[in-house]
Amino acid sequence: MTVSITVNGTARTFDVQTHHTLLRSLRDQLNRSGTKECCAEGECGACTVLLNGRAVNACLVLAVECDGEEVVTIEGLSTNGQLDPVQQAFVETGAVQCGFCIPGMIVAARYLLSSNPHPSENEIKEGLAGNLCRCAGYSRIIDAVELAAKRGQG
Amino acid sequence: MTGFEYARPESLEELFALLRAHGENARLLSGGTDLLVRMKNDPAFADGFGEASGNPLVVIDLKRVSGLDADISESGGRIRIGARAVMTDLIENKRLQELFPALIEAARVVGSVQIRNRATLAGNVCNASPAADTAPPLLAHGAILNLVSGSGSRQLPLDEFFAGPGRTVLAPGEIVESIDLPLPTEATGSAFGRLTRRHGVDLAIVSICCVVRESGDVRFAFGAVGPRPFVVAARRDAAVEDLVKHASPISDLRASDEYRAAMLPILARRALNAAKMRLQESRERRGARD
Amino acid sequence: MDIIGSSIPRLGAVERVTGAQQYAADIRVENALHVKLVSVPCAHARILAVHSNDAAGLPGVRGLFTAADLPHPVPRYGPVYTDRPMLATGETKFSGEPVAVVVAETEDAAKSAARLVRIEFEELPAVLSVDAALNAQSPLVQDAALRPNDPLAGTNTLREWQFGWGNVDEAAADLVVENDYSFPMVTHFAIEPHAFLAAPDANGVTVWSPTQHPYVLQRVVAAALHFPIARVRIIAPDPGGGFGGKGWPKVEPLMAWLALHVGRPVRLVLSLEETFQAARRASARIHARTGFSSDGRIVFQDIEANFLLGAYADIGARVVSKASYSACGPYRAAHARIAARALLSHTTPSTAFRGFGTPQASWAVESQLNQAAATLGIDAVEIRRRNLPARGEAFNPNDTPADGEWNTALTKAANAIAWSAPLAPNRGRGISLGLKSSSTASRSVAIVRLHFDGSASVLCGTSDMGQGARTVLMQIAAEELGLSPDRIAIVMGDTAVVPFDSSTSASRSTVFMGNAVIEACERVKMQLRQMAQTVPGADGMSPADLLQAHFGPTRGEVIGIGEAGNAYEPGHPLGGRAAFWELMCVACEVEVDPETGETTIHKLVLVSDVGKALNPHQVEAQDEGAAVMGIGHTLMEQLVLGADGRILNLGSLDYRIPSIKDVPLELESHLIENADGPGPYGAKGAGEGGTLAVSAAIGAAINQAAGITLRDLPLTPERIWRARNEKGRTRNE
Repeated sequence: MTVSITVNGTARTFDVQTHHTLLRSLRDQLNRSGTKECCAEGECGACTVLLNGRAVNACLVLAVECDGEEVVTIEGLSTNGQLDPVQQAFVETGAVQCGFCIPGMIVAARYLLSSNPHPSENEIKEGLAGNLCRCAGYSRIIDAVELAAKRGQG
Repeated sequence: MTGFEYARPESLEELFALLRAHGENARLLSGGTDLLVRMKNDPAFADGFGEASGNPLVVIDLKRVSGLDADISESGGRIRIGARAVMTDLIENKRLQELFPALIEAARVVGSVQIRNRATLAGNVCNASPAADTAPPLLAHGAILNLVSGSGSRQLPLDEFFAGPGRTVLAPGEIVESIDLPLPTEATGSAFGRLTRRHGVDLAIVSICCVVRESGDVRFAFGAVGPRPFVVAARRDAAVEDLVKHASPISDLRASDEYRAAMLPILARRALNAAKMRLQESRERRGARD
Repeated sequence: MDIIGSSIPRLGAVERVTGAQQYAADIRVENALHVKLVSVPCAHARILAVHSNDAAGLPGVRGLFTAADLPHPVPRYGPVYTDRPMLATGETKFSGEPVAVVVAETEDAAKSAARLVRIEFEELPAVLSVDAALNAQSPLVQDAALRPNDPLAGTNTLREWQFGWGNVDEAAADLVVENDYSFPMVTHFAIEPHAFLAAPDANGVTVWSPTQHPYVLQRVVAAALHFPIARVRIIAPDPGGGFGGKGWPKVEPLMAWLALHVGRPVRLVLSLEETFQAARRASARIHARTGFSSDGRIVFQDIEANFLLGAYADIGARVVSKASYSACGPYRAAHARIAARALLSHTTPSTAFRGFGTPQASWAVESQLNQAAATLGIDAVEIRRRNLPARGEAFNPNDTPADGEWNTALTKAANAIAWSAPLAPNRGRGISLGLKSSSTASRSVAIVRLHFDGSASVLCGTSDMGQGARTVLMQIAAEELGLSPDRIAIVMGDTAVVPFDSSTSASRSTVFMGNAVIEACERVKMQLRQMAQTVPGADGMSPADLLQAHFGPTRGEVIGIGEAGNAYEPGHPLGGRAAFWELMCVACEVEVDPETGETTIHKLVLVSDVGKALNPHQVEAQDEGAAVMGIGHTLMEQLVLGADGRILNLGSLDYRIPSIKDVPLELESHLIENADGPGPYGAKGAGEGGTLAVSAAIGAAINQAAGITLRDLPLTPERIWRARNEKGRTRNE
């Protein structure tokens, strides 16, 4: 089937198999490998992207479902090489270790701040509860979100 | 070697025609948070063959069907939640927050934010997991399903809907169009509670909703302690122990039957206390309005 | 010295936050075939037949291989014991062991073909526990012929060791505490599942693997192929989390053989479930008998430690020997006897895992101290203080003496947790010390190339898997060469480019690769000094000007090679003494719901003795991450096996690791820096401390809060509830 999906602001038209997930299409067909695959069943959040502005697990969305929709991935957050405030905060607070969970984590954080610009610590935990990290104690990740919030995430 | 077929009907008529045509080979797709997990583990989807017949499976996407909506609207003594309403929509709805806080509490713990942005209430109900978080609050509040098919429509109380683990009484070609929650006619308090293996996102080991009404009625609805979520009604002074004996918990990877059985009265008591506090608040709100 | 001790932002952070970082699964090699492994759904099975015609005939399938297609005898490999066949031969030995392998043009074709392979097998009884492994009637996991001249070859005991000193049997103690402790099977669950590529190349073969130890992989692949080392190139992209699970070879030898056999690049990405089947931590059952005098001093430690390895040795024997040798912890003991066994079983091969056996031993030994403290009426902090050696004091008479102010760590942690403050109801506190030996015999080589313009490249075989090695090594080079960070390139992860390094493990890289870099920089500076002697006006010249003046129009560069390590000592049971000790003190306060058993960690304090934190943020981040990982195996993680040896909770739904909602409400980490380590600027290593003793601290706190005594991890709500219930029942009878 042919689908047209707007990815990071650019309309892309390409053929997909019905059983290909959005995650797979992003990585294999559109060469957007920033979004990662880990559990492939919606438990780890490594594949978090924005679908029509809402954070979702790309492994639980079929590519065909996204025909006519808008997707934003980690690659779409920075503009002209400038890091967005959430990305910048993650760098500064030392929240990044191996980095594999980070794209999903940052997209989820971005989504949280877009509807809740000044979240409490508990709200940050709720917002990132779907993103597993095995390297960090999570505390610097929380610091990063708080820092981005303080600076105004937009 | 191709995948399954994918259809995206734009009207109820188209949908019913597809269901008629494909019968048992049809799989409904709404939020996808249950279906895609099943698909990952089921080779039939990748190979595209129906289980028995050798005909391809057809995944029918409900998200463009014009007769199905995500609205949460209030009229005629009930709140109607459309089939496409996702958990996030429920959580953000002010009337649901005010009148059905237990349902909001349950919706809040369905998976993560990413899951809640896709998972529909109707889908959670139709998936019929014994541990579905939203089932106890819906049952305890007497939710009614609006079912529709090519040959007409009917209403069905939710507590007649679950047939067993993963099974409902939906007839072939029938779908859930919306879910009704009757508005309380008197002061009401409700609370939801559950037990999980970790503080983070998890499936319930035991879940419970308690609704208490001014008139003295108490309803408990239980999840994850039987083949179906179920509801038990009583008077306020009924012993919690009597209510929980209707449960038939099993042992599985997540918990033993003993632990589940022991946790039920504890959670029931906590839910009852929380519901009573909310009943008091509801009284005050109604008193203030009169 | 601005840059040393400064928490400069991590090198590679920007690539990671933008999604640009290339992990193994992101690498694309043209013309690559996709690989899928096929296994049988039980642990131990006799392979009767493999029916592959349907699969091999699918469009896009380019090959389907079993052991019958491999060279004969079937190549076996392993970092110490060469026991693992490239494909299961005759029998499968663990659930998930590859029996057949498919290569196809697309991933879909490979998956479909793999599903069509029909393996006829006969399920055989499986050894799945310590008891089963010790039982002489149990089937042998490994053919005795694999270990000729080994008296243990006819048993499931791979190896056993006796360590100790003094005379335990004649030691007189006022109190003897004797208990059994168990530590579960857990899995690394790095967020990056394993992924590998291999391709034939001009010299032989290139293998891409997110391996922590490229040089180990190189020699193991070379040996499996009967290639000289020079013909095998390992490219190691930064792992997306290693923790030991990406240290030792998995299926790379098979991938290399496949690439050469089909004459094309091959690519394999494991699912998370397959990754769980590929590697785990050794579980353990430890019988500890500890003798105390009435004032709490340890008179003797008598430990029997049985570690359950998997079907193939991997690095498992080393885990047992190293952890058992230091099982007594950072304490004096007049007498000690440690009997340790590495046992084989029909399970996933156990491998290195952060802490390397010490978490298992600490759980037992620290819990023993806590029980003695309670029985003798001595405070748990105080009993440790009475047994801690002073700096320079030998506590294991055959090994490196205490190399830190360990008492300071204890005091700092106790203060930070407000140890003596009154406790609210349902709360408890615990404190514990974890000690781990670093490398014993190892070698790191570094090359520094000073380029014509005065910029420098540092070539080293260390792996940056999130601990920040690249950043720290850059900081060292910047300091030594007087260069700003943007004038330095750190090159890692390619055996064709970087020189030999033993491994990135044992918290050793800052010390050994760091020292190697310093020596390499020294050699560069020495050559510059020599140049300066023959260049007029050299004083006051920048290195770039000096190089220009010296080399002239042909240009050139200056290369320095540095090496650091600790020597192999043939007489030592571990091959050498600890280069330094990694010590962490953990203190915590928890609350346990008296009805449900649910635990909330209110505060967790970590104090580690690190010598010098070259990048404090990175050290703290490692300590915190290790502690949260430790919380996992303490409270919620356990691989559950079915009777047929399959992992029942395979995957993220039922194998729960700590999420952001499971962390302590307050998490504090402190570093003690006395510049008393053997590494750069007095550094020691760090990174594993958090996993070492967090269980015992949390366990003690839970036991106090709930009024119970649990000795088997994990301490799940249900187990806590059960222990409270049983205690209540016993009291009422």
